Amino acid sequence: MRIIGRRLLLYVLTAWVAISVNFLLPHLMPGNPIQTLIGKLQGQVTPQEIEAIRLSFGGGIDKGLLSQYFTYIDQLFHGNLGVSITLSSPVSTILKASVPWTIGLIGVSTLLSFLIGTVSGALLGWTRGSRLDALIPTATFFQAIPYFFLATVMLLIFGSNLHWFPVLGAYSQNLHPGWTWPFVASAFRYAELPVVSIVLSSVAGWMLGMRNMMITVAAEDFVLMSVAMGLSKRKVIMTAARNAVLPSIANLSLAIGLVVSGALLVELVFNYPGVGDLLLNAVQNEDYPLIQGIFLVITLAVLAANLLADVVYLALDPRTRTETVA
Amino acid sequence: MDETRTKNRILDLRNFSVDYGWGDGAVRAVDNVTMHVDRSTVVGIAGESGSGKSTLIYGFTRLLRAPGVIAGGEALFNLSDASASEGNFINLVTATESEMRRVRWSNISIVLQSALSALNPVLRVRAQFDQVLKTHRPHMSKSQRRDRTIELLALVGLNEDRLRRYPHELSGGQRQRVMIALALTLNPSLVVMDEPTTALDVVTQREIIGKLAELRSQFGFAMIFITHDLSLLVELADEIVVMYAGTVVERAPAQTLYDSPRHPYTLGLLSSFPPMHGARTELTGIPGSPPDLSDMPGGCRFHPRCPYAMERCARETPPLAQVTNESRSVACWLHAGDEDAAVPVELRRVGVERHPPLGAENAEGET
Amino acid sequence: MKSIRFPRSPKVILGLCIVGFFVLLTIFGPYLAPYSPDNTSFAPNLTPSAHHWFGTTSLGQDIFSQTLVGARATIVVALIAGLVATLLSMVVGIAAGYVGGFTDDGLSMLSNVFLAIPGLPLLIVIDSYLPVNSRSNSLVIGLVISLTGWAWGARVIRAQTMSLRNRDFVEAARIIGEKRYRVMFFEVAPNLLPILASSLLFTVLYSIGAYVTLAYIGLTSTSVWNWGTMLFWAQGNNAPLSGEWYWFVPPGICIALVGTGLALLNFGIDEFINPRLRAAGLSAKQRRSLGLPRRQRLGLTPVVHSASQRPSTPAIASNTVST
Ligand SMILES: Nc1ncnc2c1ncn2[C@@H]1O[C@H](COP(=O)(O)OP(=O)(O)O)[C@@H](O)[C@H]1O
Ligand SMILES: [Mg+2]
Repeated sequence: MRIIGRRLLLYVLTAWVAISVNFLLPHLMPGNPIQTLIGKLQGQVTPQEIEAIRLSFGGGIDKGLLSQYFTYIDQLFHGNLGVSITLSSPVSTILKASVPWTIGLIGVSTLLSFLIGTVSGALLGWTRGSRLDALIPTATFFQAIPYFFLATVMLLIFGSNLHWFPVLGAYSQNLHPGWTWPFVASAFRYAELPVVSIVLSSVAGWMLGMRNMMITVAAEDFVLMSVAMGLSKRKVIMTAARNAVLPSIANLSLAIGLVVSGALLVELVFNYPGVGDLLLNAVQNEDYPLIQGIFLVITLAVLAANLLADVVYLALDPRTRTETVA
Repeated sequence: MDETRTKNRILDLRNFSVDYGWGDGAVRAVDNVTMHVDRSTVVGIAGESGSGKSTLIYGFTRLLRAPGVIAGGEALFNLSDASASEGNFINLVTATESEMRRVRWSNISIVLQSALSALNPVLRVRAQFDQVLKTHRPHMSKSQRRDRTIELLALVGLNEDRLRRYPHELSGGQRQRVMIALALTLNPSLVVMDEPTTALDVVTQREIIGKLAELRSQFGFAMIFITHDLSLLVELADEIVVMYAGTVVERAPAQTLYDSPRHPYTLGLLSSFPPMHGARTELTGIPGSPPDLSDMPGGCRFHPRCPYAMERCARETPPLAQVTNESRSVACWLHAGDEDAAVPVELRRVGVERHPPLGAENAEGET
Repeated sequence: MKSIRFPRSPKVILGLCIVGFFVLLTIFGPYLAPYSPDNTSFAPNLTPSAHHWFGTTSLGQDIFSQTLVGARATIVVALIAGLVATLLSMVVGIAAGYVGGFTDDGLSMLSNVFLAIPGLPLLIVIDSYLPVNSRSNSLVIGLVISLTGWAWGARVIRAQTMSLRNRDFVEAARIIGEKRYRVMFFEVAPNLLPILASSLLFTVLYSIGAYVTLAYIGLTSTSVWNWGTMLFWAQGNNAPLSGEWYWFVPPGICIALVGTGLALLNFGIDEFINPRLRAAGLSAKQRRSLGLPRRQRLGLTPVVHSASQRPSTPAIASNTVST
């Protein structure tokens, strides 16, 4: 399909831009960060590891920028993202352990948040003028709270004061990771509070956006016609909601980026072993290879999510699908 | 009202008024309109854009959105079918939501000007019919619904391969046909059409008007047909109601009104459009523009634009009164007396053959 | 020319009050602070009291003073970032929408790319490579933030420009031979004002979040007091788990309040741009006195029985409902 093809092209281009930014930043920033880094590492890690790090940045500086760029890309395609300085193991290995936690956490919370926000926003828009409108300022306030701050408050109240949820980490330390029932159950228990806090932070955005769209769509003729047709109230609301949700999905790309950004910090607050927590540790230790690897992985994941959103949008809006007109 | 008239009446609007806004901010868009529609007849409502035609029909169907409110009057609708021995009227103005829901589409259906905006953009043609049938004919099976849809599409001249199309995949004419078929789904006794052909080209317009006339004689539904093009109505309507600034200014059998308009406004409207048959003539139209609702002229609302205005017109509002010895009414002081003498020749009741000379006459005399 | 009537809803007024309050805090905060935010001479971990309204940190600093002083850096950086980003999105959006063709393709692609890259991770990568002395520079940080925050505005402005491009007054200016940039920035841009304002509010909102986040993870200089740094120290000293809520709650609430104020203002602009969002303008009490339902349901036009109606045409004996 043409439209999917075009979006795919956009994402490939975006990925390329992200990769190139990743390459260029250390080379162009004042103060030669690569040299400084490698200098600092002398004696700390093995010469092979230093060589791997050097290669992941594109090889020796004597080679010229363009040649370094190709080396860098070649290394990337072979999975060499360099070696983490603090953890002294390959970045790709580290990522493999933490990415699933993040995808699970953010995926579940984004889905929940989208569903709750869209449904409540549709109702709020439909019943505009009713007492439910009082929710709007509250929602606006929640939308303005930084994710990590809300997470901190939740941690304090429900975790360390009320002890309703286990906190810190992703599973009970007494268990061994694996596909065993106690472990999975424990993982769910530990994810509850982070999920709740991400949902609370992000749900207002979906809700307010959907409310506006619902009000806008409710003013369309076809909604009035569905009333004129004597359809049930539920059907009428569904008619409006079904059309109002389309822009929400079309804007998913912006939203996913924001939610992911926010959710990464929630991991830090809860010590959740995902890429967010990893990224912040890397930042604090100036572990450049790790920072860069994480940035790439997050970007690729977000692009994949965008593509998925595009497919859903296409499936839901027949107008974008048609290429032949009667 | 005598028995047979009651039984054959479908809709009776009495002193029906609609406001936009409330309290001090209210403006009256439909003012004290009294009119009726009989079973199997077509009533045309004509008037310039902004004269309150849409407001009237959205008003009595209770579909008007805020800030529109019904400011008074009754809208009696006959729920009984043609074979019933007497009428069974419901006042739509005071009906509850569930009563309205029972009337909607089963008894009254509506076709709007733009079918593109009236059809749900994310549903295929077939699903648009399905949702109506599922709601009102819950016992029908899937294949029965499909058959009924195909039958309806055939009625309006569409092939069944349109079933799987989305509204945006159809041409303007096809969309409007789908809308008409949809309006006939439940065999309503009244179909309301708000400028259904205005957005279409002339050829398609003629085809659809022809189709409507045919369908009406086949199924015997009554119709309210709104347009600002009077010449279109003559073909289709039994009776024509002319509206100006929210009021009815003239009401007469279609051909009578077309041949001998009594109200200066009707005359103006007639000369704004070329007749559908006959020579193309110069169009003179009506000078000026409709009044602002919040600043309505006193007396007759038309007097500032009326070439025949008299001193009395600015002072007193002419009532919509029956013309002596004729089955028509007009709201104009020119026709207040019994004598024709004071009436300008083009508005007189007899003897003047106006078509096509009206336009030609104007072309010679004024331009 | 139409006079611009800004919707005066309670939401907008509340928003104006909140934003106004914090603007004053930005200007006067540092002068109002009772102590220096760096002063460590107080007893550590004091709970809020008359002497220390918000208590003290575990290093013995006055949290109230930190909050007052921190307002300035937070809001100034957010303003710089918001203004630069809005300017960028205006230039890109108008150019793409007005010039069209390859320019449009290129610029749209660029905004879409920036829209698809998750902002915060990009920000973190760029920022982590910044030399330490630049991290304390508000201007540098503001510029970096604006780089990740302009794309959305550009997209909205482009769409609006395209719809303006063929309006009469723009055509007219083009026909009399005005230079292209003049048409773009003197004819088209003024008509984008509501969208630009909304876009500015949003980018400022985004920038506050971004800046505070960077500070919270220690990517801005810790020598500059802002609300994010306060949270950074609070987190670093385990304030949340040791129950020292008064340490991290004040800056967090301030951030949320500024954001709420901006978002409430934006409601007003939204209603201005999209009239469908405007409320019907009647209070619940007025509606009741007119006999109107509390909210209008679609497909059930209400009937008013109001004595204050203008007398209508006396044409036909009026039997309008009088109950
Ligand atoms: N929502 C509204 N608010 C205020 N006035 C309105 C509204 N809708 C229509 N009107 C006014 O009501 C009058 C009648 O409009 P309408 O019924 O649409 O006329 P028509 O269908 O004959 O063209 C017009 O003067 C119009 O300006
Ligand atoms: Mg109309």
